[in-house]
Amino acid sequence: MSMEGFEVAVVGAGPAGSAAALTLAKEGVQVLLLERGSFPGSKNVFGGRIYTYALKRLLGDRWKQAPIERFIRKEGITFMTNENSFTVEFESKETQTSFTAIRARFDKWLAEEAEKAGASLINDVRVDDLMMDNGQVKGIIAGQDKIPAEAVIACDGTTTNLARKAGLITMLNPEEISIGMKDVTELPAETIEERLGLESGEGMAHVYAGYPTKGLRGGGFLYTNKNSLSLGLVVGGDDVSLKAIPSHTLMNTFREHARIKRLVRGGKTLEYDAHMIPEAGPGMINRPFTGGMLVAGDAAGHLLNNGYTFRGVDMAIMAGIAAAETILEARKKKDYSANSLRSYAKRLKSEPSLKDMYTFSKVPNYLRNRRLYSVYPELVCSAAEAVYRVDSKGKRKIYKELRAQTKGRVSTLTLIRDLLRGARTF
Amino acid sequence: MTESEEKLSLDKRLGTLSFNKDPEPFITVDTETCFKCEKKPCLYICPAQVYVWEEKLVYNTEGCMETGACLIVCHKLGAKAIHWKYPSGGHGVTFTQG
Repeated sequence: MSMEGFEVAVVGAGPAGSAAALTLAKEGVQVLLLERGSFPGSKNVFGGRIYTYALKRLLGDRWKQAPIERFIRKEGITFMTNENSFTVEFESKETQTSFTAIRARFDKWLAEEAEKAGASLINDVRVDDLMMDNGQVKGIIAGQDKIPAEAVIACDGTTTNLARKAGLITMLNPEEISIGMKDVTELPAETIEERLGLESGEGMAHVYAGYPTKGLRGGGFLYTNKNSLSLGLVVGGDDVSLKAIPSHTLMNTFREHARIKRLVRGGKTLEYDAHMIPEAGPGMINRPFTGGMLVAGDAAGHLLNNGYTFRGVDMAIMAGIAAAETILEARKKKDYSANSLRSYAKRLKSEPSLKDMYTFSKVPNYLRNRRLYSVYPELVCSAAEAVYRVDSKGKRKIYKELRAQTKGRVSTLTLIRDLLRGARTF
Repeated sequence: MTESEEKLSLDKRLGTLSFNKDPEPFITVDTETCFKCEKKPCLYICPAQVYVWEEKLVYNTEGCMETGACLIVCHKLGAKAIHWKYPSGGHGVTFTQG
């Protein structure tokens, strides 16, 4: 296929890129969608869940054809120490808010939807550079090929080569990234349902704090697929480097915890995956646009970890749509200058679902508090231990017990400060 | 269920992935510079242990999962010795369960 004669080049066929390409193609724009992997999704890894609303917005009723693993009915968090665990679980009547997926299938399917709408997908292409003219992006360069375009949408992920080449972003700092790792373990559907207390076909999402990361910033996660479990960890780039703990060793520590071991027992490891996660939010990029180019998805920090929900794919899709709408408006005016594309920033901030990124903008900073990963999970577990234990020594009232448990771990003042800061942040 | 199944080694884990080797090197390291590096963060951050210290820095990109994190920690915490780009189109790791 010739790569000439396209109006818009979208780099990266992940959720942001495919959503942008689909939205543009539907309006008759000639769109080229480039993917560096041998198929869309082949380079992508996530924990496991996609929020449905974004897909509905993009595709209407067709969203139901997505390769859905299981809809999430149960949410939970477990605070863990070496020996104990304390779990809070929420079961919802709402059955289609979010679902688990496998990116090799999901991203591929979404890119095919973009193709059906008229976008031209080309795999196996690594985009190396931008064609520039007077500070304006005029196309892209892949190896020997120069591919001119009226506009470029960079959806090239956390490492975003293109936003860097355009001078929109400098290298992220170790505290602004995390490493995500997971084992995907195959188990029969009935075994998964039995072990996790699920009805047939239902799914769950669970996060783990404390022990799984040995107190480093981050946490563990578990998502149920149809016939497999995605069990993994996210760990802070600065913490893991400076504490000199090889990241992959944490996987076995977590997996061998009594509470986790029984969940994956007897399963076959299908795959071990890893990925880098930007944790700084949309503030990681100076601005997500320049003359002739927009940036969307992980590349622009369009994701949200507020400690209890982890969102990336839905925000990438919404940002992809916003990018496409900005291009459509610019196309009418035949003006792709930075000034014309500036409305993209406004769109991102006014879209209610994306606004969450800005609402929770102080969260990344709050989540750098290491007490969240060591002292507090321990505190929760030992308080629960004290509350539930009955022995010959007799018991104290719960409040007194909680006060006693905090002693030596964290001062009352620090505890109150963390709580208040938390209340203001979340 | 045997004990060995539960204790997954990194080699076993990486063995679940398929790689299409890029004939061009996509990571190169000025290993001389690494002697000056105090923290050696690349040894810890990489989930595939591409980097090991055997009296000097030794790296093997065959299990590389292309996270790009090594570049960041090397340049921000280390001695700025790593040169990194993605493998060329269609090369490198393929995830089927990501």
